Amino acid sequence: MGMLENRFQDNVVVAKLDKLIGWARSTSPWYFQFGLACCAIEMMAAAASRHDLERLGMMPRSSPRQADVMIVAGTVTMKMSLRVKKLYEQMADPKYVIAMGSCATSGGPYWQHGYHVLKGVDIVVPVDVYVPGCPPRPEALIEGLLKLQEKILDERPLTRKMA
Amino acid sequence: MSADQEKLITELVEKGLAGDMDPINAIEDRVLRSKAKAALAKAKRAAKTATTAAPTEEKPATETIAETPPSDNPNKKFGKMIEDTFQGSLDAELNDTHIQLKPDNWFEIAKWLKSEPSLYFDSLQCHTGMDVGENMLEARYNLHSMTHDHKIEIRIAVSRDKANIPSIEQIWRIGDWFERETYDMFGIFFDGHRDHRRMLLPEDWEGYPLRKDYEVQETYHGIAIPKVKVGWE
Amino acid sequence: MGVIHGEEMVLNIGPQHPSTHGVLRLKVKTDGEIISEITPVIGYLHRCFEKHCENMTYDQVIPYTDRCDYLAAMANNFGYVVAVEELMELKVPEKVEYIRVIMAELQRIASHLLALGVYGLDIGAFTPFLFMLRDRERILDMFEMTCGARLLYNYMWVGGVSHDLPKGFVETAFQFLDYFEPQIEEYNNLLTYNKIFIERTADIGVLPADVAISYGVSGPNLRASGVKWDLRKNDTYSIYDKFEFDVCIGDGGQGTLGDCWDRYYVRMLEVKESVKILRQALAQMPKDGDVHQALPKKIRPPKGSIYSRTETPRGDLGFYIESDGSPIPTRVKMRSPAFTSLSVLGELAGGWMMSDVISILGSLDIVLGEIDR
Repeated sequence: MGMLENRFQDNVVVAKLDKLIGWARSTSPWYFQFGLACCAIEMMAAAASRHDLERLGMMPRSSPRQADVMIVAGTVTMKMSLRVKKLYEQMADPKYVIAMGSCATSGGPYWQHGYHVLKGVDIVVPVDVYVPGCPPRPEALIEGLLKLQEKILDERPLTRKMA
Repeated sequence: MSADQEKLITELVEKGLAGDMDPINAIEDRVLRSKAKAALAKAKRAAKTATTAAPTEEKPATETIAETPPSDNPNKKFGKMIEDTFQGSLDAELNDTHIQLKPDNWFEIAKWLKSEPSLYFDSLQCHTGMDVGENMLEARYNLHSMTHDHKIEIRIAVSRDKANIPSIEQIWRIGDWFERETYDMFGIFFDGHRDHRRMLLPEDWEGYPLRKDYEVQETYHGIAIPKVKVGWE
Repeated sequence: MGVIHGEEMVLNIGPQHPSTHGVLRLKVKTDGEIISEITPVIGYLHRCFEKHCENMTYDQVIPYTDRCDYLAAMANNFGYVVAVEELMELKVPEKVEYIRVIMAELQRIASHLLALGVYGLDIGAFTPFLFMLRDRERILDMFEMTCGARLLYNYMWVGGVSHDLPKGFVETAFQFLDYFEPQIEEYNNLLTYNKIFIERTADIGVLPADVAISYGVSGPNLRASGVKWDLRKNDTYSIYDKFEFDVCIGDGGQGTLGDCWDRYYVRMLEVKESVKILRQALAQMPKDGDVHQALPKKIRPPKGSIYSRTETPRGDLGFYIESDGSPIPTRVKMRSPAFTSLSVLGELAGGWMMSDVISILGSLDIVLGEIDR
């Protein structure tokens, strides 16, 4: 409450409900650690001592039902793509997806001859933020998460969108 | 585990092998019951091995007079020993790099390679499949002995239409997974394998990817496989 | 009171689960809490490495080998490059050999730290994980100083390495080793001799030596069962014969020989041996020399095939390469140590409880990227 204390007279604070909801949703998103391959190690390193993710409020959750953000870290193969879809559907709204690494973005180094590789996870789930890199540094992942926070802040969930 | 428990488990396993599962199911203690079931499964597997074991081969009657001086190269040396013990099993001339065998009595040869004291190849290091062209597929085995520290390579070539090789997964237990992977990638069938199914690709995948003429399928469960994003290249 | 007759339940430890091993699926048949049968199902990370090798030139394959065992990428590079150089009968300069050994041993320490930390994490100990990752970050800093990458390096090339050691590398390395040796004592206090850890891991998942050899298990898992087999000594490659170090085997210190605690302890001892090798290598390394070799742009090994193996933190990594004289290999088969380690899980886990299965799986130290390739 530090910034707001002792500033206003008896007053009514008016704000758009949209923005308030966006503000509440954006801070401390709990991420669903969907680590598949090498990017999972960088995700773990981002959560470990040096680049601490928990100071930003982001806690790793192992169950999709408790998570807000799904970080798809690593190559998605055909065999796994059906499970990715299922797990995405098990997450509760509002949910967001970050595609971490070039394999999740577009197939990565396996795009040419990979018969079993899904060329980008956005073929099965809708993606909000793409974090490029092979693997992206933990700092890059943190930037991706901050960009996601900005995106959630700008969302206006209540307003009816023009079709 | 105490001595009486071990004795009890041995009795139960015998009864189970004879087909009588009630004594095992009637045990109240869960740990003991599980251990008995695990031991029964093991014994059944071992029983299968005993029934498929081939009769021992005949020892060479007379000593073999080498026409050329004995070679130091292990592939040549052991290839000669295999030819002496199992006549007619070599498929090509002896050479420095590998031993080419026919698939017919590969199982007996493999058992002999593992049990013969001067050879004692107790470790199957690597199992590779190969598409050698001209409608032939090959399976290559790299064997190594931990005690004597020598190694050989054995190759068995089969044609694509009848790609059957005897399975050696009961001799070197890692053969189980190695052979499943070679089947998955090349389509070579291993006769006698107890669990013959695909290893890495999904069960309903079509085709054998590492063959040189492989065409990837268009979709898998409705998801497009080849590059669908335009404007990349 | 009557006995409650239960039925066997088939449980699925699904492909997504919170541990480093990767996307592994275990089909578990249980009778209550006790397991009767376990079947691993793999292939969720099959990225067609061998098909890529048949379409790329020999040095274009090196980044793909990195991504197979992503926890020990230098070791994979090393194995592949040693195989290709043996096929071509190429000698590399001495400085390159020293640099390769230094990088491989640093990678061994980093990989073992991660394996041990994550093993503790699986069991439930969070603090050793954070401490070990903190020290691993210092090693990754040294790698980043040399070649610019933290996890996947593409560092060892055929005939040399990609970048020379920067100025100040040797001093930084010595500083790190001086800082790191007392840390091993701290880890021993935290985890190795911790009573709860010993209860969870001793006498569990005993692997007899003959079963291990038949299943092709190698590396620390085999050495923990008492078999003194280390490729750096028994089948020497590169310049490992110039260094003095011991081969650590398990001795049943806290339970039976070949149990989970032994497999954990052998890795801890190997970290100490790696520090020894590093000190010798850093002292003996020649100061100047060229790290690239004059090789043609497209490497053409002679026609033939070769199977060569090296010792990675997980065991024997074997590469079977067949070449037909063209710049593109005909076949590259990677025989991964974690593949064989995982195949023995079915034997080890019968009769134990669910939480012991996690203990056994963690002690085998598998990486799915290597198993599925």
